[in-house]
Amino acid sequence: MATLTAPTRKAFPPGLSASPAVRKLAALALIAAVLVPLAVTRWGGGTWPAALTVDLSEPLGRASDWIIDNRDSHPLFLYFFGHVSNAVVVAVRAVYLALLAVGWAGVTAVAGLVAWRVAGLRLALGTAAAFLACGLLGMWVPTMQTLALMAVAVAASVVVGALLGLAAGLSDRTDRALRPVLDTMQVLPAFAYLLPVVLVFGIGVPAAVLATVVYAAPPMARLTALGLRGADKEVLEAVESLGATARQRLLTARLPLARKELLLGLNQTIMMALSMAVIASVIGAGGLGDRVYQALASVDVGAALAAGIPIVLLAVVLDRVTGAAGARLGQEPAPNARALWAYALVATAAVAVAGRFAGRLEWPDGWVLGIAEPVNRAVDWMTAHLYSGVPVVGGTADWAGRFTTWVLDPLRDGLQWLPWWSVLLAVAALAWLIGTWRTALTAVLAMAAIGVLGVWKPSLDTLSQVLAAVAVTLVAGFATGIAAARSDRFERLLRPVLDVFQTMPQFVYLIPVVALFGVGRAPAVAAAVVYALPAVVRITAQGLRQVDAAALESARSLGATSGQQLRQVQLPLARPALLLAVNQGVVLVLAVVIIGGLVGGGALGYDVVFGLAQGDLATGLVAGAAIVCLGLMLDRVTQPTGRRTKKGA
Amino acid sequence: MSTVNDTATTTGTRDGAPVFSVDGLWKVFGPKAHRVPGDPELSALDPAALRARTGCTAAVRDVSFDVRKGEVFVVMGLSGSGKSTLVRCLTRLIEPTAGAIAIDGEDVRAMDRSRLRALRRHRAAMVFQHFGLLPHRTVLDNVAYGLEIQGMGRSERRERAAEVVAKVGLEGMEQRRPAQLSGGQRQRVGLARALAVDPEVLLFDEPFSALDPLIRRDMQEEVVRLHREEGRTMVFITHDLQEALKLGDRIALMRDGRVVQLGTPEEIVGSPADDYVRAFVRDVPREQVMTVRTAMRPAASAEEAGRGPAVRPDATVSEAIEAVARAGTSARVLDDGRCLGVVDSDGLLSVVADIGADRRAAGEEPAGGVPARRREPAPQTPTTSEEPV
Repeated sequence: MATLTAPTRKAFPPGLSASPAVRKLAALALIAAVLVPLAVTRWGGGTWPAALTVDLSEPLGRASDWIIDNRDSHPLFLYFFGHVSNAVVVAVRAVYLALLAVGWAGVTAVAGLVAWRVAGLRLALGTAAAFLACGLLGMWVPTMQTLALMAVAVAASVVVGALLGLAAGLSDRTDRALRPVLDTMQVLPAFAYLLPVVLVFGIGVPAAVLATVVYAAPPMARLTALGLRGADKEVLEAVESLGATARQRLLTARLPLARKELLLGLNQTIMMALSMAVIASVIGAGGLGDRVYQALASVDVGAALAAGIPIVLLAVVLDRVTGAAGARLGQEPAPNARALWAYALVATAAVAVAGRFAGRLEWPDGWVLGIAEPVNRAVDWMTAHLYSGVPVVGGTADWAGRFTTWVLDPLRDGLQWLPWWSVLLAVAALAWLIGTWRTALTAVLAMAAIGVLGVWKPSLDTLSQVLAAVAVTLVAGFATGIAAARSDRFERLLRPVLDVFQTMPQFVYLIPVVALFGVGRAPAVAAAVVYALPAVVRITAQGLRQVDAAALESARSLGATSGQQLRQVQLPLARPALLLAVNQGVVLVLAVVIIGGLVGGGALGYDVVFGLAQGDLATGLVAGAAIVCLGLMLDRVTQPTGRRTKKGA
Repeated sequence: MSTVNDTATTTGTRDGAPVFSVDGLWKVFGPKAHRVPGDPELSALDPAALRARTGCTAAVRDVSFDVRKGEVFVVMGLSGSGKSTLVRCLTRLIEPTAGAIAIDGEDVRAMDRSRLRALRRHRAAMVFQHFGLLPHRTVLDNVAYGLEIQGMGRSERRERAAEVVAKVGLEGMEQRRPAQLSGGQRQRVGLARALAVDPEVLLFDEPFSALDPLIRRDMQEEVVRLHREEGRTMVFITHDLQEALKLGDRIALMRDGRVVQLGTPEEIVGSPADDYVRAFVRDVPREQVMTVRTAMRPAASAEEAGRGPAVRPDATVSEAIEAVARAGTSARVLDDGRCLGVVDSDGLLSVVADIGADRRAAGEEPAGGVPARRREPAPQTPTTSEEPV
């Protein structure tokens, strides 16, 4: 039977059928040959033609003015956004007051005991230590502010995400509609979400919480849907064969079967919420992020570090505890789990009450360790001794300067000098070669939209920073990844470092680079590289290690040297993983390059910050839209065809 | 071997009315599947042509059979022959495209949702190839799951489940999770879960294919034991001919969605309906499947009918060989003291060598008549000859 159904292949001339890439390029060249002369004669070459731009700043400015004028009177705001806003404010305030009422000892006890029950003793001690460290650094109150904001945002994200995920998990149509949206949201830089919420809610806590929810809900939705859809078909069939109703099936089988994904979703949502809650300080989130933001604005590295360390501690603790809870799922619960929970609860209450009666609710002032000063002294020393004039190697500022002059500037100028159509053509060629004509079309349209929005030049400036950072990231990442894949010992050493680096919110990366390189575009690029590197290293190493062992063994049995094995077997077979690493690298780099606008990165990120700072929302919104387009374009250009089928979270 | 067949025949009570009655069943996957069964031209196409013409795949094509009360009905075929689809159609886990299914005379395809749920909850329970256990529940709660679905109270269902767990030999493992069990133990849990709801029919979908050979044999013995003890009707899907012959009272052999032959193991092995079946059963040790009915001839004389060792008519040929070889003479086939005929070494050898089939085809039918393992003279509703071949 099978032989009958095998399609009969048409015999192409060998040269043509051999390489689809050549065919794609030929087709593209054909299209270009027709369209480019037309476009050039009509609109001219060089930079993006003015005839093709649409100035949105005026309508946007009017819209924003209208919203500001009507925020207190229009029914839409009075009866919908107003209630949302009030509810958010009340909720955050309630959580914040509750945290303060429990006191520092109580909060530390709660955190430690919850960690003990869900993740074990070691993590419990670590959690308690982390909270005490926050207090020691004098950051207890901002930490509680951030925590309160996060708690509300995470709760909302989980509810929204789980509901969306439930809908997508149960209905194919919803899934088809939702997935591209979620996929796209996942690749957009956090900064792009800030302005639309500010437009509606104004700067303040509600906007910060809602931006956080929009940013943090997609992973929950994706993973919920993934878990519901990935449930073992035969288990579901067995459940159905026993006569379960749809509700019974959902409650007793589908949801429990998806527990791992649900917890992973919670973990990712928490991490993204923390990341965003910190970034949202630029729209009035307050808390730790605000301290970092203020400190960076005045290049006070010591103060930034004092607020940054609690952020990192929070991130690591939250990640490890929720991660450990997920890993413990398969195991049997302790026989006396309930009693232990009860003990934990009683102990917490006792600590909180004791703290209350001791009158020690606030973190005692005497226990604060001022690290800002010594850190700043160290930074001053660095500035004096390492910035420049170090013999032979030069100083860090010299490096940054040279990187700017010799790499970033030529790259930016080159990109801006290129005729606009050639940029579009290059985008199309790249996207089509790696992906499908659909991704190519999306990428080209996104890039063209940037031109239409009238931010061609700043976008290319951002793009040049992204390209430089991606190049550095990939070279360093692939090299490290290959080394890690080849040496077990190196990988063991590297793993904890990667773990910590991957959990840190984007914002914190700005602190050390400012200390080392000052402000400007080079530090933004450096922060982006540091942020994206762990993911690239990890994906590369994993991809290389997962190469079919049999293929590798057969190469070895034929006497291939280890270099030959790497070049001829491992790298070609790991191609999908390497492409994924490129894609992830690009997405992550873009996110931080944009945030780099806060430390002098200029370009689109600066436009957003400027728009926020000056109340010029139109400029900010246009820049935000351009960021979205740029993110879309970069993701599609590097999107391997197979990604849709690989359901990695 | 023979004990299996014996118990199967003796426990089965045949009172005519079939448990499942399937008539002209079709399951077609693909766009506008409904037009295929009704269209004589389309339904005559072979699978490849059908797919080329319509984009549809006919997994089950015009299948008819009855499952009698108390029997083990085996559906056997290679992968892709449609047997798993067929068994899912019985409780409409897969919705059939055309045809009729009745359970105890009640039309399954006409059932509304609640009726259908009641059918699945109480009357037919299924055992799956990859067990289909809930990983987050203990063995006990997995077994009790069907009862929980029915709305039974916690303590009562646990009590019932504990009994069934003991019955399938899993005492002491009640609190384990499926992940902590071996494959064989997991399938025992699957079996217990199906048994716990006390169904009229047990449906097995290749339940032992994922198990190691030795464990598989244990589990087959377990099924035989359960069937002997409870006499429950079973529909058993397998791709393993040995398993089919070992367990089945009757076997429906499927190929490309059709039943190519339906009959007792002896009929399948002894008189294959076509070359496909013949190729299938070629390597079966015939002396262990065929009974002496096939090998016997009428006694040449009263004297011959009066001496020699006695064998039962449903004894296997290999048993008769042993008896004949020990005695050195022909053996008598006795049924309740009545002599049906005699078997001698020539007759037995011709069965082993499969030259009896030629002889029978040439009209030299042995006195036993239609080779049948059954004792009852039941008019077999769908026999080999009626099946579409």
